[in-house]
Amino acid sequence: MKAAGTSRGRGVRALAIATAVLVAAPALLAPAVARAEDLKIALVAPLSGRWARQGQLKKMGAEMAIAEIEAQGGIKALGGGKIILREADAGDSVEKAVSAIQRALSREKISAGIGAWLSSFTLGVTEVSERLQVPWFTLSYADNITERGFKYTFQSSPVSSVQAEQALDLVLDLARRNGQTIKKAAIVGDNTAATVFFFKPLREKLLKAKGIELVVDEIWTPPLADATAIVQKLRSTQPDIMFYGATNFPDSIQVLQKIKEFGVKTPIQGVGAWLVTPEYVKTVGKELLDNIMTVTASHPLKGQEDLVKRFTQRTGEPFMTQDPLMTYAHVWIIKEAAELAKSTDPKAIRDAVAKLDLKSGPAAGALAPGRIRYDERGRRIGATPIIVQWQNGEPFTVVPAELATRKPVWRGGK
Amino acid sequence: MPAALAPRLRGLVPIGLVVLLGLALTFVLGERYHHRILTLVFVWATMGLAWNIISGYAGQTSFGHQAFFGVGAYVTVLLIVGLRLTPWLGLVAGAAAAVVAAVLIGFPTFRLAGIYFALATLAYPLILRIVMEFLGYQEVPIPMVRDRPALYMQFADPRAYDLLALAALGGTLVLSHWIETSRLGYALRALKENEAAAEATGVDTLRAKMLAYMLSAAPAAVIGVIYAHAILFVVTPDSVFGVLVIVQTLVVCLVGGVGTKWGPVLGAAIMVPMSETLDATIGDRLPGIQGVVYGGALVLVMLFAPEGIYWRLRALLPSRRAAPARAGATAATQGPIAADLAGRAPVARGATLMDVRGVSRAFLGLHALEDVSFTVRAGEILGVIGPNGAGKTTLFNVLNGFLAPDAGEVRYRDAPITGLRPSAICRGGVGRTFQVVRAFPQMTVLENVMVGAFVREAAPDRARQRALGALAAVGLEARADLVPSGLTTLDLRLMELARGLATAPDLILLDEPLAGLSRDGVETMMALVRRVRDGGVSVVIIEHTMYAVVQLVDRLVVLDHGRRVAEGAPGEVVRDPAVIEAYLGKRWLRHAENLRR
Amino acid sequence: MSPGDLVQYVVTGLLVGGVYALMSIGLALIFGVMKVVNFAQGDFMMLGMYVTYFLAVGYGVDPLLGALFTIPPFFLLGLVVHRTLLVRVTGGGDPQRLMDAQLILTLGLSLIITNATTMILTPMPRGIKTAYATQAFAVGPVLLNQARSYAFLMALLLAGVVYVFLTRTDLGKALRAAADEPEAAGYQGIDVRAMHGLAFGVGIALVAAAGGLLATYHPIEPTVAVNFIVLMFVAVVLGGLGSIPGAFAGGLLIGLVQSLTLLVLPFQLQNVGVFIAFLLVLYLRPQGLFGQRARAV
Repeated sequence: MKAAGTSRGRGVRALAIATAVLVAAPALLAPAVARAEDLKIALVAPLSGRWARQGQLKKMGAEMAIAEIEAQGGIKALGGGKIILREADAGDSVEKAVSAIQRALSREKISAGIGAWLSSFTLGVTEVSERLQVPWFTLSYADNITERGFKYTFQSSPVSSVQAEQALDLVLDLARRNGQTIKKAAIVGDNTAATVFFFKPLREKLLKAKGIELVVDEIWTPPLADATAIVQKLRSTQPDIMFYGATNFPDSIQVLQKIKEFGVKTPIQGVGAWLVTPEYVKTVGKELLDNIMTVTASHPLKGQEDLVKRFTQRTGEPFMTQDPLMTYAHVWIIKEAAELAKSTDPKAIRDAVAKLDLKSGPAAGALAPGRIRYDERGRRIGATPIIVQWQNGEPFTVVPAELATRKPVWRGGK
Repeated sequence: MPAALAPRLRGLVPIGLVVLLGLALTFVLGERYHHRILTLVFVWATMGLAWNIISGYAGQTSFGHQAFFGVGAYVTVLLIVGLRLTPWLGLVAGAAAAVVAAVLIGFPTFRLAGIYFALATLAYPLILRIVMEFLGYQEVPIPMVRDRPALYMQFADPRAYDLLALAALGGTLVLSHWIETSRLGYALRALKENEAAAEATGVDTLRAKMLAYMLSAAPAAVIGVIYAHAILFVVTPDSVFGVLVIVQTLVVCLVGGVGTKWGPVLGAAIMVPMSETLDATIGDRLPGIQGVVYGGALVLVMLFAPEGIYWRLRALLPSRRAAPARAGATAATQGPIAADLAGRAPVARGATLMDVRGVSRAFLGLHALEDVSFTVRAGEILGVIGPNGAGKTTLFNVLNGFLAPDAGEVRYRDAPITGLRPSAICRGGVGRTFQVVRAFPQMTVLENVMVGAFVREAAPDRARQRALGALAAVGLEARADLVPSGLTTLDLRLMELARGLATAPDLILLDEPLAGLSRDGVETMMALVRRVRDGGVSVVIIEHTMYAVVQLVDRLVVLDHGRRVAEGAPGEVVRDPAVIEAYLGKRWLRHAENLRR
Repeated sequence: MSPGDLVQYVVTGLLVGGVYALMSIGLALIFGVMKVVNFAQGDFMMLGMYVTYFLAVGYGVDPLLGALFTIPPFFLLGLVVHRTLLVRVTGGGDPQRLMDAQLILTLGLSLIITNATTMILTPMPRGIKTAYATQAFAVGPVLLNQARSYAFLMALLLAGVVYVFLTRTDLGKALRAAADEPEAAGYQGIDVRAMHGLAFGVGIALVAAAGGLLATYHPIEPTVAVNFIVLMFVAVVLGGLGSIPGAFAGGLLIGLVQSLTLLVLPFQLQNVGVFIAFLLVLYLRPQGLFGQRARAV
């Protein structure tokens, strides 16, 4: 019994000490917390459903940036605080996507966010981030995302209308340097928002301004049942270039297969990063893909070879594409903004982002032309599209020349 | 009238409680995400209720109800984008457009029934979705109006959206309650359970279905508008016309229970928070698992409550007090059952009431009726006899409008009635019963007869009184609160007769009312038929039981192979050598032998 | 447009329709015998595509053959699904209520299959690289895609086997009896429940095989079914609910309508043509092109 009594006495003392520590803890630890405050960011992306693959790729990029930031000591202005990623599944509908951001932002204090891949999702999601005043980064191209006068939405990609204009110039230039003039063009693609916004200026003014005749203009509503009719027209009109936007993977595969079947040799200029994903090589093989080009908002540039290597080793993906690269860059941008703001307050971070002007570092190095600053609408100033080309089963940046990892190969149709 | 209105008003109390609960939640919840879930519950409950009007009450399963949801959303949002029209007005325009769409879709599609109707409705939102994409409306963001947010349904406070959706829910609940307790509701239940019987009992089924479709399109459009503003912020063809919209609607209705206003409310209150909770907990950590669990929940609910949770719970509850035995079981069995002219001019006894002139009708080249003519005189019982396949029931189907004759004309009260809908003929004063009783099986005896009474009464209470009167006349008052499955053949036939009488006919067509009855039953029925005639209602009766017919009728028409072979007083007809030789002979003899045994 | 082009449109339409046809007969069989509207049909097709894919990638089995290999396991899977789940919501009772329950049950099943597949096999699209996917038989100026031609022939063969089974064998006749007159069939000693199981098994096996054939040229993803499920229902209705030859013809007809619609409507409205044809058939001939019932009402 004595032993028990002693042990009880010890227990009481221990309890008293523990209580004292607990009571004192906030006072003792408060400065430490302030010195190493973690920054929570949200990633809203489709992680289940039809677009889950894209969401997963985005997540890979974010996780890699977070690991790198942690490895080099976290956010210094926050005392080495880490970045913590909170994912919310946007699923396969606007309703689910907006619900995802709503719960991500109301569960805990989120300092900034990234998402939500599909432009319609982004339009809905940014309504919430705007109302709750949390800075939000998107890779969506649609012009209307930054035409609503929002203060908290940052669009790092060149918008569709700009992409179309610049892509046309780049392609014409490339053809000219290879001794070919483009006289006839084809537009082939689906009528999803991303594609429509790209094709509209081409069709309505850009091609005309360059004196190019539009000989094929075939737009379908996904899913595409069969590509024969389209490819028949390509075969009979022999355009010098085909602008191609088939965001639904099976549709795109069908068109490419049919182009091979019919022996059509028109150079293909895709619009969007969907055309340079690893699953293309696995499904149709590199022979079908080689020389196909596409315009994207980002792709690994010269000087990012290490980054790509780290990414492929980390994830097992054969190469890095726009989705992970963009989120990678966005996490770094948020980190730099937090350094500038010296705070995790979303409003402070938003103001810091608006003032940001990065000319070097992982974020600036990831996005052409190597500089990160945003205008008052939230668009990245000077954002240039880049052209990626499949070469030997892998996509490489070929334009702009100063950031390219390979020289473009032009193989005219005739 | 307060006493008469009271039961209907009492039904509003639970609706009030639900709205109060909704209000309480609106003001108790703090987190924005919880408000979003609450709004979603209201939205999907409302959409479910809208669907339930046409698919639950009227029984016309619609796989395309998101057409109206989407029309509402698109019309309103395009009006904001194009004309800066406030969505408060746009909502009215959207609902009006949806009602017009319902008429346009309904007219061709209500010719179809069951799964065919369901599949046909599926095509419309799919077409609209493709057309919207074709027109370039892939993404229509709702423009943010910063200076007058309330005018544009844009609120910073999430409670405003809760209240908006709750108002829509409350309104649709009241609408549903009104339908459940109104003439329309009885008509819809009747046509859902037996469309032909409903039509023959004076329910204009096409009109009732169309009305229900319009009434279900309007709230669907309104909630589509609210959904776009509170939940989406951007309208895309997929998000409002897509299959996910109808899937969610079906889930809340079928899980909750169809055919009652509480089903969709219950379904939404369970399934929406479940789905969101799954998304918020396991879904964000292990994406996809929420779909697996949600799918598993659907499977389980259907295994254990295939009729929906509401009906399952009701079946589990101790049955609410057994139907009270009604007084007055000993109804008057004497004296004529007084006819009700319901405002029609009286026809002198013996004058021509219905005139059948040269009616022919063929099926696949086979003449079911060939040049049949006869008259029905006011105040008589006319028997129609003939062997199987003689065309007797086909004749009735022509007389009450189920079939249009290929040639000839049926005149009633000196006006042609060929080509009129059966319900119109019934309202004109021609009632009928069926060879095999066509009851509305889920409705009580009283409600069955009320369907008939609604031909003359708009108010449910007055219809109830009239129906009780008809039940008393046939001596079936005591069974008023039973469902037909518990009745004997005689009671069923009496109920059908009462249902016919409740329509206040001049003329009632009875298709083999004595078939399957015992000797006593036959006596009861025959006495009734006489009392009906004595009260001033003419009767045309198809019968096989010859001895009964001869005793009962004033005149006889004999059909054979679709032709009228004789007409006259029973004594004469029976002695008509042509009739005996060509048709009656064998049967009459056999029957006579039976009688002797 | 030259006559050669027109022939190409017709041929293309028929080839596209061939696989729709095979997809649809399984659904038609299930509907015809059990009166079940199976929402999960497309998901079983997707699983069939994956099985064919893994057979091709793992064991080098040509997908045309792999499609046939899917039949026995999916037949068993169908039996199991019927016995454990569907048997609870079929046979006896208010048909409307049963249909409602079946809808939600198969919808739940579809959610489970799609999401579990996404989680286990990842959402990454896959494809079987076949030489014949990008080659064509040239008949004069008309090109017949080889993969689609093979798939078409296999579809015809399988549909023929099913047809012979249903019309020439005792088991097949019992199945039809259970479909047309379940009560009478019961009196004759036919186990209607077992017949339902058989129909579901065969229906699932057929759609899995159709998936295998589709996989010769179409990429495979967990959500691939959404592209086809509506067309499957349209084909079944066009042919007359429950009619096997009707569903086959309905599938071919959809392919033809899709192809010929391009001659009159913009490409974007291709499927509007299909849905309009669907509505016309429903309104003018609700029993479908091959249906036997006099009227749907």
